[in-house]
Amino acid sequence: MIGRTLRWLLFLLTVLLLNLPVIVTVLTSLKTDADINASPPVWLFAPTLAHYRAVLDDPTLDFPRYLANSTVIAGGGTLLALALAVPAAYGMVRSGAGARLVLPLMVNLRAVPLVVFAIPFYLMYQVLGLLDTRLGLALIACIINLPLSLLIAVNAIAELPLEIEDAARVDGARTRVILARIVLPLARPMLISAGILGFITAWNEFLFGLILSTRNAVPVTVAATFFTTSFGVRWGDTAAAMVLSMAPPMVLGLVAARGIGSALTTGAVKG
Amino acid sequence: MPAPRVIRRREGWLLIAPLAAFLVLWLGFPFLTDVVYSVSQVGFTTLRQPRLSGFGHYAAVLRDAAFWHAMGFSFRYAAVETVVQVAAGLALAVALAPILSRHRFLLAFILLPLMIAPALNGLMYRLMLNDFVGIIPAYLGMLSLSPDLLSTGWVFVTVAAIDAVQNTPFTLLLVLAALQAIPGELRDAARVDGASAWQEFRRVVLPLLLPVLGIAGLVRFIDSFRVFDHIYVLTGGGPGNETTGISIYIYKAFFQQQQLGLAVAASMILLLLSLAALSLLMHRSLRGAVA
Repeated sequence: MIGRTLRWLLFLLTVLLLNLPVIVTVLTSLKTDADINASPPVWLFAPTLAHYRAVLDDPTLDFPRYLANSTVIAGGGTLLALALAVPAAYGMVRSGAGARLVLPLMVNLRAVPLVVFAIPFYLMYQVLGLLDTRLGLALIACIINLPLSLLIAVNAIAELPLEIEDAARVDGARTRVILARIVLPLARPMLISAGILGFITAWNEFLFGLILSTRNAVPVTVAATFFTTSFGVRWGDTAAAMVLSMAPPMVLGLVAARGIGSALTTGAVKG
Repeated sequence: MPAPRVIRRREGWLLIAPLAAFLVLWLGFPFLTDVVYSVSQVGFTTLRQPRLSGFGHYAAVLRDAAFWHAMGFSFRYAAVETVVQVAAGLALAVALAPILSRHRFLLAFILLPLMIAPALNGLMYRLMLNDFVGIIPAYLGMLSLSPDLLSTGWVFVTVAAIDAVQNTPFTLLLVLAALQAIPGELRDAARVDGASAWQEFRRVVLPLLLPVLGIAGLVRFIDSFRVFDHIYVLTGGGPGNETTGISIYIYKAFFQQQQLGLAVAASMILLLLSLAALSLLMHRSLRGAVA
């Protein structure tokens, strides 16, 4: 009985410690400036949405645009990665092509820190006119997501039964049709998990956003840093901006926690 | 992978082709740029006409004390993160497994930090560490303590702790999954034979967890070695270059000091090092494919 109580206590403390920054930031974003500056810190207060209004309504900040940038970049990069990975995974699993070398090589690409390509990307994007564009950053998001998307797609397709496909093939269905009508629907739960995890990863990317965007395509992770420097001590607005920037991946993560958990485990263990 | 060959290899390669083409373009070209520029005389005005000039940039990097400092930081940092996150993840997974196996939805609250951008996490700690509004100085002050946690003596511990708190859920998750895969009969048998709880853990559970601990450690080492985001927003690599790891070194060399050749040569050195990690992972994958 004491053991059980201690275990729950440990669980609560762990959750509290792990999520303390989020808790503090959310509370700060809801405080008046007087409450933010109060010493000692106050934990009970009358909440206000003024900081959210300030962040979203101020046309000079352009915060809604940063949110839109991140949405387009992360969403586009994730979908493109899946569009490339699913047919390739099917080809690998069903024909054995590339399974010995190409697949492990791509899956283990994450061992290479992408910062080694940061400078070439900058130079290349300058030449191609992709600097400070959503398309340019979405292509980077796609690269970042490819290894895990491919791995999850391969695992999902390898588990599908062959009988339905065989029957369709006997009826004369082409591979394109089989992919669209049979493989995609059957592998959907796994692919959705891969997509959600990919979206979160891409949304949270910082380094390439910092290097490759200056104004038009700035994602929220980078935009949030503008706040702390340009605002000085306006911590309420800064906290509200941070909460808005974190909310989409956190909500997705909570909703799809189980799928993401198994996707993360697959990514590490089956690589 | 036991591949039932239901389509021809040729068709298989056709399906792989778009992915391969994208990778060749989007990774092959940057790679070639790295190779060529690292042995060329090139500046921002002569970007399109690099002149081959030998290995001078590499020599300059290897003579640069700041480079070795950055490499030292990255190694130390990655080693600390690996040990701390694997140990803490193991301990927490074992202690919390009874709760998390019975109430699976609670795992979401443990995984939540993994959903947050490391850059934003760093910014949140800027808020928590702020001298005027931060809760950490406020409560330390009540204990009559006022260490500057971002100053020379403390900054390594601070940035390392922030990372450990954010990423320990990952190792916890892996260990938890491995724990749940251990057949109950094994543990029952140990208990029937009179093993104490510690003996059961030490002799039965821990040996079965070793592979996953190794994988978790490898992944965390690789990711920690290239750390950038939360350190960049918290300290910018400082004070001085105290928290400048290899990623921040490359970033600063190019984007702040405009030393293109130096930055590219350092990138190549880091790339070669990461190929060592890559071959280690490949070894594991290929062995797994055969088994």
